[in-house]
Amino acid sequence: MGEKAYTLVLVRHGESTWNDENRFTGWADVPLSEAGKKEAVASGKELAAQGYTFDLAYTSLLKRAINTLWSVLEETDLMWIPVKRSWRLNERHYGALQGLNKQQTVEKHGKEQVLVWRRSYDIPPPELDEASEHYPGNDPRYKDVEKALLPKTESLKTTEARFLVEWEQNIVPDIKSGKKVLIVAHGNTLRALVKHLDGISENEITGLNIPTGVPLVYDLDADLRPVPHKDAMAPLQGRYLGDQEAIKGRILGVANQTK
Amino acid sequence: MPEVKYTLVLIRHGESDWNRQNRFTGWHDVPLSETGELEAAEAGKTLAKEGLQFDAVYTSVLRRAIKTAWHCMEQTNQMWLPVTRAWQLNERHYGGLTGLNKAETVAKVGEAQVLIWRRSYDIPPPEVETTSEYYPGNDRRYKALTPEQLPKTESLKLTLERVLPYWESDIKPAMQSGKRLLIAAHGNSLRALVKHLDGIPDDVIPGLNIPTGIPLVYELDEDFKPIPSADAIAPLNGRYLGDREMVEARIAGATSTGHK
Repeated sequence: MGEKAYTLVLVRHGESTWNDENRFTGWADVPLSEAGKKEAVASGKELAAQGYTFDLAYTSLLKRAINTLWSVLEETDLMWIPVKRSWRLNERHYGALQGLNKQQTVEKHGKEQVLVWRRSYDIPPPELDEASEHYPGNDPRYKDVEKALLPKTESLKTTEARFLVEWEQNIVPDIKSGKKVLIVAHGNTLRALVKHLDGISENEITGLNIPTGVPLVYDLDADLRPVPHKDAMAPLQGRYLGDQEAIKGRILGVANQTK
Repeated sequence: MPEVKYTLVLIRHGESDWNRQNRFTGWHDVPLSETGELEAAEAGKTLAKEGLQFDAVYTSVLRRAIKTAWHCMEQTNQMWLPVTRAWQLNERHYGGLTGLNKAETVAKVGEAQVLIWRRSYDIPPPEVETTSEYYPGNDRRYKALTPEQLPKTESLKLTLERVLPYWESDIKPAMQSGKRLLIAAHGNSLRALVKHLDGIPDDVIPGLNIPTGIPLVYELDEDFKPIPSADAIAPLNGRYLGDREMVEARIAGATSTGHK
């Protein structure tokens, strides 16, 4: 493994209003809850306190990530840096389950089936209909995206595939040009990224929980391989910033939730 | 009547912390005051009420304009729009006066001199020292600028000379590619744009007040000439959104709040 050449910081956005209501969210553009807003500000304050600075930020087209990014930029006094938004950083699309209440879905399809849809690496939920409000083809923000690329459902596997296109085409060149990059995104797109960076198996990634609102810092060598950090929590080679004990507790605690 | 080819919305940010303290601001990156935040949110609500949709947002690299853009995007539920931050849309640089209190400066050099620096078209304030924190060469956000591009002071004329090339190179092509734009910027960078759009003379533009937080809508023909609005208030061809009496009062009263 090489010497540290680059720093990359990841932040998963915090609680949304639908987390609160226990509904499958996916590409539905729901706002942060009050708790989520606080998490966003806290993550920014943590980065500022530890002296992190950035040259460029990436985020999705979903307001819960964008709002989190805005809080981070404000707290770190970096509102002036360029921001690139891409649908490829969006959360995994939840297909026909989007908008449905998780409990009701369990009652309808059974606990095991729902667990498969949520925790399988490559089995996606049922496809939604093109007439659905949740079909991205009906949302003007995706009007410049090729129709064939717009999902009617996604698994973690397909999410990873479409995320990595952005990673390879845009994010990697930016990092290699020497820019300090901040990525504010979602649970499954960040899973896709750390799986790729840390070589995490398909089995292990589906159960990996990335706590919300906690900056995750990667030191990367010249080939963009992580330089392991002493504070890294396996299987990740990056490290979380903040109270390490509290973070460990949150990682274990989230394991019981269902997201 | 020529056809409307492009719709362009301009918004001047509201009160900043230094407006409140009555200090010359220019390129110094001060945040909006609480009042300024409310103004920005109101502007966004006005845009939402009007049903205006955009494809892209342009703003400066100064947080008071960026925050104003964010509020507009939030209120119109378009947070997903691409935002381009351009130093060329920054407020006019106030040179060696940056940071100074306006009243103190008047006491020091006299009201007439200060009025010239503030209201002249082409006489800039004294230059800032290159060692000063207010010299942009000492701010890493401007590291891509050449020494010639880094201002030590600006008049409205010099501001225009770096706004208009950006209008030509970036903003017009964006509109030509079909994008409906929102531009959130500053008093003097917006003066530069409307001077160009509406052909306002050099001796009229310095005294033109663009009220803060009130969206200004331009409908342009295919040659980027404004199609005069029935609700336009001369010398502008664009129209302000909102109650006309309120707008006229704000145009007349803008100077009293300490804004340039």
